[in-house]
Amino acid sequence: MKKLLTFFLFVLFLIMTVNTVNAVEITFWTHEDPNRTEIENRYIMEFEKANPGVTVKRVTNSSTKIQELVLTAFAANQGPDIFNMSIEDEYAYIVNERLAPIDFEAAGYPSLQAVYDAYVPGVLDPVTYKGNLYGLPLELTNWCLYLNKKVFRDVGLDPEKDYPKTWEEMVEVSDKIAIRDGEILSRRGFDFRYPYYLVSMVPMVEQLGGKLISDDGKTAIVNDEAWLKFLKFMQEWGPNGKILGSPTYANARKLFNKDNNDIGMCLTGLYQQGRIRNDNPDFYNSGEWMVVPFPVFEDAVKDVPAAYYGHYYMVNGQKPIENQKMAWKLIAYMLSHGEEYLTKVNIVIPTVKLMESETYKSMPYSKVFADDMAKGHVVYYAESSAEIQSLIREAVESVMLAGTSPEDALKTLKRKAQEVLEEG
Amino acid sequence: MSKRKTKYSIERKKAQWGWIFVAPSLIVFAIFNFYPIFNAFYTSLFKKKLLSLKAPTFIGLHNYAYLLNSPDFWNSIRATVVFTIGTFIPLLIFSLLFAVLIMSRKRFQKFFQMAYYSPAVLSSVVAAAIWLIIFDPRGLANQWVNLMMNTPGIDHKWLANSIMVQLSTMLVYGWKYVGYFTIIFIVGLASIPKSIYEAARIDGGNQWKNFWYITLPLLKPTTILVSIMSMLQCLKTFSTQYLFTQGGAPLAPINVITMNVYHTAIRDHRIGRASAMSIILFIIMLFFTWVQFRSSRADEISY
Repeated sequence: MKKLLTFFLFVLFLIMTVNTVNAVEITFWTHEDPNRTEIENRYIMEFEKANPGVTVKRVTNSSTKIQELVLTAFAANQGPDIFNMSIEDEYAYIVNERLAPIDFEAAGYPSLQAVYDAYVPGVLDPVTYKGNLYGLPLELTNWCLYLNKKVFRDVGLDPEKDYPKTWEEMVEVSDKIAIRDGEILSRRGFDFRYPYYLVSMVPMVEQLGGKLISDDGKTAIVNDEAWLKFLKFMQEWGPNGKILGSPTYANARKLFNKDNNDIGMCLTGLYQQGRIRNDNPDFYNSGEWMVVPFPVFEDAVKDVPAAYYGHYYMVNGQKPIENQKMAWKLIAYMLSHGEEYLTKVNIVIPTVKLMESETYKSMPYSKVFADDMAKGHVVYYAESSAEIQSLIREAVESVMLAGTSPEDALKTLKRKAQEVLEEG
Repeated sequence: MSKRKTKYSIERKKAQWGWIFVAPSLIVFAIFNFYPIFNAFYTSLFKKKLLSLKAPTFIGLHNYAYLLNSPDFWNSIRATVVFTIGTFIPLLIFSLLFAVLIMSRKRFQKFFQMAYYSPAVLSSVVAAAIWLIIFDPRGLANQWVNLMMNTPGIDHKWLANSIMVQLSTMLVYGWKYVGYFTIIFIVGLASIPKSIYEAARIDGGNQWKNFWYITLPLLKPTTILVSIMSMLQCLKTFSTQYLFTQGGAPLAPINVITMNVYHTAIRDHRIGRASAMSIILFIIMLFFTWVQFRSSRADEISY
């Protein structure tokens, strides 16, 4: 009896030891996207089945909240195994060496070069640092102009011909579409996506010949004339100018899906199509919406569309090596379903294979997005990009809402941005 | 012998037990309050990035010197002072008025107490979210004001104008906390003996005189307590301003110190500088707490 008990305890100990050795728990933090959650939960189940002993905890939060959560977790050395954010927020993790470089073998590639070859040239540049690759793109997004044809026809405009090609036309068209009760807008023609100044507003300055940072990287806010013209344009746009829009009105992109006759146009990416289909299938199927390129100023010196940005999956370098390997394996497994991400979530994983596929080419308006992307550049990313973005926001808000003159706003922006650049 | 007696006197034993009883709370308080304060002060002496694994650089009081020369920081001091003064004075006046009003009623006292207190139960985030909808250009705030003032179509720019956005934050904060301080005043009013009013009535005092010459003077400790509590609360304000800026309101007019601390640490990753800012806020609050102790000691009232 005693021998039997000893044997039983030995076997139990052995099982527990083996389980402990093989058990790997991967924590995976990402932003909310119901369409993506549905397919990724399935991939995770399949992955866990194919890799016994591995459990994956996928946690979602809003896209703004996730930045704070990941940051504070990393600051306490308790970051998740896998996370993703936009590159301008992720870059600080790369330069502070908090990440694990890709394990190409675990990810199923014969060499590091093979990883680069699998993706569209240049898209891995933002995550390449000191010869190492630190991320794989979940999506590469650029914004074009979505417009509601019914709203256009309502004011006697032909959406196919009269859509705004320039920012000056945008003012004219928006003024026609706008319905005002005195100073209060009940229908806007178009409105900007205000929190994202680097993606859509810096390119407007670049169209006029301005730059955020000089080529030698030493000067911030280059070409005062271009910046002033941009700031004057925004001042005119706002509630103290022509009353065409304001950051305090409801988000144009979200209103667009509802087709409630309260917005004519908005700026957003290809992914919006999946969201329209989910939120308002009737509108999606009606054919009453279309996508046109990002406008340019009439006297633009360069044709610069909205900057494109990437969300990259990254792996925490402070986790045990087994977790890192397993994390890269999971990332590669999920990203191998590029076509399903495209058709169900409308996000573009920029692999050569997907971009050349019929699935991508047959997506509504994918050519408009592809053409704009070919002309554009990646969003400004640096360790201090979030800080720089907030300074541009401050300048735009001060001219639009606080009554500051564009000259004074520019002076403040230049001083602060230069200080940030020099402090590093 | 006499020494032994002193050592083991009843008072001494009582004091020992007292220490034993308060020790757990003192330990918890030290861990969760004193340690973060000392740690923040220590961190404020370094140039430290939140994500950096490199050892932080000791820079002494440079972060403090930087802040004292920073127009942004002085704007935050301005925003905090304007908000605090603009909020705690109306809070004090209205909570006292509501308390007197409720106490003067013979019926529905409990109902009014609950009604005024209910916003304080709401989380600040929910409260700000509700008010964001009200302050939308097409929202109820514009509709009500335009109806009352017969000014159709005017956008009062509740969140889109430097002065209005400051007023809006004060309004939301006042709405949320007026009930809380009303309850404190009600407790203060209830503790004033009725016999004093009865004596005043015999002497021919009317209600107005009673309020000025009995209620207000006897309520002085409560008034000081409420004024200091509300002032400290206002100095720590964050969530209303944070949510309003998320809703598109301009940052500069309402960039209170706590917001600046948050942005410096979370957005800019400069934890050393953010710690210095929080220490300065702590010193300001400590000063007002000292004022509270001084004032309350001078105004102790016994009936």
